[in-house]
Amino acid sequence: MGLKPATNPEVEAKPIELTIDGRSVSASDGVSLYDVISSTGKIVPAMCYHYTFDPFGSCGMCLVMVEGKKAPVRSCTAKAAAGMIVRTEGDDLFQARKKAVEKHLSVHPLDCPVCDADGHCELQDMAFQHQVTNLANAKQKLIPEDTRSLVLDFNMNRCIACGECINVCKDVLMIDALQFMKKGGFNQVVAKGDQPLSCEFCGDCLAVCPVGAITNKFSKYLYKPWQLKKTTTTCNYCGDGCQMHVETKDREVVRVTSPLSWKNKWGDRSETAKGHGGICVRGRFGFEYIDSTARLQQPLMRRDGKLVEAPWLEAVHSVVDRLADIKAKHGPDAIAGLITARCTNEELYLFQKLMRVAIGTNQLDSSARYGHINFVRAAQQAVGVGRAMNDWEDLTKAKAILLVGSNLTETNPLTSVRVKDAIRIYKAQVIVVDSAQTNIARLASHPMMVKPGSEGVFVQGLVKSVIEQDLIDTEATAKYPKAFAVLQEAVAKLSFESITAATGIALDQIHEAASIFAEAPRAIILCAEGVVRRPAGYEKILSLMDLAWITGKLGRPGCGVTTVTEEINEQGAVDMGAAPEFLPGQAPITDAAARDRFAKAWGAELPAPEKGATLTEILKRCRNGQIKALYIVGENPLATLPKSMDVQAALKGLDLLVCQDLFLTETARFAHVVLPACSYAEKEGTFTNLEGKVLRIRQAMDPVGESLPDWHIMTAIASGLGCQLDYESPHDIQREIMKLLPGYYNLGQPRKPAPDPNKYLSNGYSAEVKARYQPQMEAMAATQAAKPFALALGQLLYHSGKLSTQAPGLITIAPNTGRLHMNAKDMERLGLTDGTKVRVTTAQGKLDVGVQADLAMLPGSCFFPEHFNEPPVKDLMAVEIDRHTGVPYFKFTSATIQKV
Amino acid sequence: MSVGAFTKRVWQAALFTEIWDAMKVTFKHMFHRPITFQYPREQRTIPDTHRGALGLLRYDDGQERCVGCDLCEAACPSHCIKVISSEDKSLPLQRFASEFYIDITKCVFCGYCVEACPVNALAMTKMYEYSTHDKRTLLFDKKRLYDIGERHLTDAKKYLYAHGQEKEGQESREYRYFFPQSVIKPTQPPPKHLMKQVDEKSA
Repeated sequence: MGLKPATNPEVEAKPIELTIDGRSVSASDGVSLYDVISSTGKIVPAMCYHYTFDPFGSCGMCLVMVEGKKAPVRSCTAKAAAGMIVRTEGDDLFQARKKAVEKHLSVHPLDCPVCDADGHCELQDMAFQHQVTNLANAKQKLIPEDTRSLVLDFNMNRCIACGECINVCKDVLMIDALQFMKKGGFNQVVAKGDQPLSCEFCGDCLAVCPVGAITNKFSKYLYKPWQLKKTTTTCNYCGDGCQMHVETKDREVVRVTSPLSWKNKWGDRSETAKGHGGICVRGRFGFEYIDSTARLQQPLMRRDGKLVEAPWLEAVHSVVDRLADIKAKHGPDAIAGLITARCTNEELYLFQKLMRVAIGTNQLDSSARYGHINFVRAAQQAVGVGRAMNDWEDLTKAKAILLVGSNLTETNPLTSVRVKDAIRIYKAQVIVVDSAQTNIARLASHPMMVKPGSEGVFVQGLVKSVIEQDLIDTEATAKYPKAFAVLQEAVAKLSFESITAATGIALDQIHEAASIFAEAPRAIILCAEGVVRRPAGYEKILSLMDLAWITGKLGRPGCGVTTVTEEINEQGAVDMGAAPEFLPGQAPITDAAARDRFAKAWGAELPAPEKGATLTEILKRCRNGQIKALYIVGENPLATLPKSMDVQAALKGLDLLVCQDLFLTETARFAHVVLPACSYAEKEGTFTNLEGKVLRIRQAMDPVGESLPDWHIMTAIASGLGCQLDYESPHDIQREIMKLLPGYYNLGQPRKPAPDPNKYLSNGYSAEVKARYQPQMEAMAATQAAKPFALALGQLLYHSGKLSTQAPGLITIAPNTGRLHMNAKDMERLGLTDGTKVRVTTAQGKLDVGVQADLAMLPGSCFFPEHFNEPPVKDLMAVEIDRHTGVPYFKFTSATIQKV
Repeated sequence: MSVGAFTKRVWQAALFTEIWDAMKVTFKHMFHRPITFQYPREQRTIPDTHRGALGLLRYDDGQERCVGCDLCEAACPSHCIKVISSEDKSLPLQRFASEFYIDITKCVFCGYCVEACPVNALAMTKMYEYSTHDKRTLLFDKKRLYDIGERHLTDAKKYLYAHGQEKEGQESREYRYFFPQSVIKPTQPPPKHLMKQVDEKSA
């Protein structure tokens, strides 16, 4: 990082003055001369330069004349010094740059007509700009194309050895999957060790390649850049909400590109804290589900036990009539609704309005219930802020990050790049508390590999350690002496012996982690699926809040407790009130003032709060016949929840099941009416990402078949039920939300939340703390002895929910192997090899499944991707329902494993 | 009216001079070469540079010349060309047009597409007779374009010679555009590792 101290706030660089083309310019000492020149607005050509990584200096295009030197110098690798006199223009420099272009072209195959980069190629631009018309000594490399990788083809004939792909992979993404290798007399880019490429497949190398040396397998030779319609939109996979360009040709999506490209190479590295513009494998290669042939084209209706195609008018009429009939016969509480958090804010808002106003029930829920609601409720309870407290910039600039139960690289790849930035540029200490050797744990300074399921105990250990080591922030605790005394008393009951025994972490490591976290000026706690989706998630988050409070990290800039979301709009789902306990804007449904406000705005009575039902409660009421009709938008509870939840029985007992989805899902097969919905590429709207930013999605193509956007269908149903809504576009809904929640659409920039623990610490804290800090080791030890393996369901990097399994590109990269991931040593101990069948026994049943070795697994744990139900490992999971938030925990259980 | 003029008129009336004058033109035309062209019984000779219907060409060994580079589409001022390209998996780095459409009703016969083609796959022919009862048949697809190219191969080649895009007498094989192609000699034999596969395919 020697060349770019100016971007690191920890390093003070001396200001200097230098002259560029006769103009005096001030800069920091030791910065790359190229950066200084580009900061004056001058563009000096450079093919191997990108602001996100250190200058490489291989293309020889950025030549400038420095007074006192005879020959032109490469400005990218030259450091700016005081008193330099620099000339960037002139015929001699033009000729020198032309020579450099000719040098590259003389070994370049002039196959522009068939090259995918044709028209989007820096070498082409440079040859044109420098008027290169003939080449004296040209030769051919004749290297066969490397097509071994699953997603990328490497055509090294076209390579200009700029090293951008290698640098971005190593410096920005810290994956380091590519390298130069001398082969056949030429320097070639190959995957590490000249093996088939096996990496995170984020495709950022493809994005920065200035020529066509790296090509995308899924769109190779299908297009020329000028034929594509480019739509800037938001990715709909994870909660990162990356901006990306969906490029379409007629009715098909040809490729997805990122804002990161060789075209935007000028910038300040501090800007990368807001995102370097790259996207991950899911965004870049998981687009093929949009125009998949499996998409629903027409509404389906059940006739004689079979789903047959029906016209829209008939399908909607039937839904409306039957809903009205059920409402008239059994009352509004015989109807319930579930919606996915992949819908837009407008649709989520409209959904809850449809349920609450048109139908009049409070039995509605979204997929935020699978975990994120835990964080929202806990943060609301503790500090009155119902969302993540930090944005990406805070994460990058943090000095200490405590990652609890998060496989960040796999669940939220771009948030993990921000953590990698923190490690790389800002030299942050990262403590990873997890029970798997994840990618982020390997990069972290302090990986704490706790025993499975003991993250909560470890956090309690940290709280105890902070108090015992006297690392507390007296300013923060002095305000609430009573609360602090209670906490001290509760913590005193815990013993370090039992904590170290339960977590398997040595005491001095706990102390070290506690002191790193407490002493850092900017420290962030990031908790994710390992906390919010596992038993007692709500309490664990409150313990993390305790930790942040006593170390004085609540409310201080750059500090806080943060989470990441699995689906893009989980935050939006809660904010829009698609949960039984919240009205839009996270107003509690019991709050009389908020009820009045919304009742007045909507011109209707709101349903009574006590009749509300969460996901699990809705399914229960379906089973016992209280609920007769269920309206499911994009959700698939049958494929998500374990068998013990008996979703099938719940669905079968319904008089009316309406499914609105992109595909004919497992749940939709039971439906009476299936309505085809549009994907995010076919509609307008907004998503709220994990930072609380409201991001726009834009229509890239016409709807597939006869599918309609969700808001359109919901408006039609609501109008049919006598609740006249006259929305003509999502913008009309947006305008209504803007009126009701002023400031929500804050031009994409969310307001910084101001966490305030006052209310929580002053009332009711004492009683709760005592219950929370109970030693629970005995129970854990007992289960561990009986069932020695921890079986976890989780997410893979290459997939997101069930949606991504419809994308052939992602299935090529990560097909369903149907195998349980296990530690290699465990396999050896049990005498297993890859593919051997084992019998997994849990309290819920047993299943025969193949195994495979996984380096990330620790001894005593095994893992199965939650995206696949073949074999149905999910049915082995026990379900525990959180007594505070109603979250069904089914991602983690203990099991025994025997060889069959 | 004077006496002389009156006498002249009488004479003219008696001898039918006006009719003889008119008949003079008629009789003169009996000995002229006819100007009216008896199309379609007679066909006019058309110059080699004539810009008629477009056709797609093959190499002498029967392989399609077109590499699906979409440059004709980009060059077309009336947007009448549509190329759908894809990858030929049987050959390394081989791109080809899986579909090719020219809406000849929109075509302005400017010849830009032929000029833009890097492999001389497109050429204009002397064919201009494609009137039809069904306008839809005037959207030429790939098969039709190759048919035209095959039927009017000599004309198409003459067009390319006349426009200086190919040299007469040289084998079309020498114009083959190989990728990766050398820049020293555009007519040098293809690289060995590609040659083998080309031979295999043509065999």
